[in-house]
Amino acid sequence: MLIEQCAYGNRWRFVSPAAKAAFSLGGFVAAFAAGRPDAAAGVAVLIVAVTLLGACVPPGRYLRIALPPLGFLLLGCVSLAYSLDFNDGNLVVQWLPEGWGPTLQLAARSLGALAAMLFLALTTPMVDLIAFFRRLHVPEVLLEIMVLCYRMLFVFSEAVRDTRTAQAARLGYATPRLALRSLGSLTANLTVQIWQRAHALHVAAQSRNNDGALRFLEPQYANTQRDLWIAGIGGACLIAAALGLA
Amino acid sequence: MTPSTPSPLLAFENVAFRYPDGNVGLDGCSLAITQGSRNALIGANGAGKTTLFQHANGLLRPQSGAIRYAGQPLDHSRAGLRALRSAVGLVFQNPDQQLFSASVQEDVSFGPLNLGLDMDTVRQRVNDALRAVRMDDYADRPVHNLSFGQKKRVCIAGVLAMQPQLLILDEPMAGLDHAMRQELLAVFDHLHGQGITLLLATHDIDFAYRWADRIHVMARGQCTAAFDAEDFPGNAHALAAAGLPIPGIIELHRQLVTAGHLQAGQSPRSLGELTELIKHQGKSAQ
Repeated sequence: MLIEQCAYGNRWRFVSPAAKAAFSLGGFVAAFAAGRPDAAAGVAVLIVAVTLLGACVPPGRYLRIALPPLGFLLLGCVSLAYSLDFNDGNLVVQWLPEGWGPTLQLAARSLGALAAMLFLALTTPMVDLIAFFRRLHVPEVLLEIMVLCYRMLFVFSEAVRDTRTAQAARLGYATPRLALRSLGSLTANLTVQIWQRAHALHVAAQSRNNDGALRFLEPQYANTQRDLWIAGIGGACLIAAALGLA
Repeated sequence: MTPSTPSPLLAFENVAFRYPDGNVGLDGCSLAITQGSRNALIGANGAGKTTLFQHANGLLRPQSGAIRYAGQPLDHSRAGLRALRSAVGLVFQNPDQQLFSASVQEDVSFGPLNLGLDMDTVRQRVNDALRAVRMDDYADRPVHNLSFGQKKRVCIAGVLAMQPQLLILDEPMAGLDHAMRQELLAVFDHLHGQGITLLLATHDIDFAYRWADRIHVMARGQCTAAFDAEDFPGNAHALAAAGLPIPGIIELHRQLVTAGHLQAGQSPRSLGELTELIKHQGKSAQ
């Protein structure tokens, strides 16, 4: 939901998704081209700065969205940095023989890639992204799955919330035992609902003359050419900076 | 139950349909919809209204009896259904059943694109349809951020963009507050003004009396009565047989006439008309 709010509320909402994707791609390439950890970290900082200052994504919201992936990144790095071993019944912790270097490099690159991905995700609504992928001729079946998943995500989160509230109102979550029971019946109920809704959507699509493929209108953007140029130059600058710092 | 014109736009002739689980959907249902008219289909829950609508749109196929559209029997071939569904638009009761695209504009474009129209025509139709339901400011919004009433209007736009001749709406007023109902009514009036035939299911008998040209009463899978809205007062028995009351305004008018406050005559169709009548007859009595 937070990502959704940013994607619709940022200053670059109506900038062509192609331009934003080009800049994001530039960020990815720069993060991987950076030879040293500080260069990759520098790229990450630059992209974050562009996201916060350029697209005006609120810093607090950005941090809240970035925290879960950062947590994963930390866990991943720690687990890479050492290995656990059992020797004769004793637990042995072994650090990487190469030291922290490779781990830092990996972490910095991942940060850069994360920043680049968040830039795209926080400035471009899913709707625009899907339309953009369609223009890139991503296979139709993948796009249809994306469209339906995206829409269903909201329909089902609403169904889950409503059912949970109704259960809680009748003390369904009063004790851990009851909570487990309620959760079970919620899952069972949702399974049936998914089935019914899928059928209902199929009938509704048929009534609007659908014969299989889902076709939608593509949004239009002003100044696509100009924005693509700017994004291209921005992306190239990032790559140049990463290589230069290295 | 004779149709008011010789060749109705949509006609059901003794249509029967039973669901696979044994439930009776339609049981010898006959009904006629005149071109350009406003029709209200009233009936209790489970009377078969939705089943009837799904037959009109070709989603269900009658097991016996016949359905005619513009004088021709329905053709359930692929091409026949395509033609039928572009002429008969169906708006479902639950908007979440109908809306599955991510954005408003995308969803409205779904039907016209299924008709095989080119992008420019589709864009034009989407804009026109959204303007007709006053949702043009929301074209780029994601569907899940809309209110219930707004979703309903997007559903209507999605069907309007296919430019149907007959627009069928299943309980369009259900779940809407007063202001939203008024807005939707204005949309209906606008569509009726454009020559679109309207058929809607409703539980609200007062609304049906106020709005419709013709009333169709459904009970137990049959259309048990059909009459012009002015003839409502004389059809109390048909309504009672279907478990429906007569509109409150008719009862009130009748009581006022019996008590001698008003002269006998045609019953007004809304509270506004009744107050006008009271003012007018009160003045002439003085």
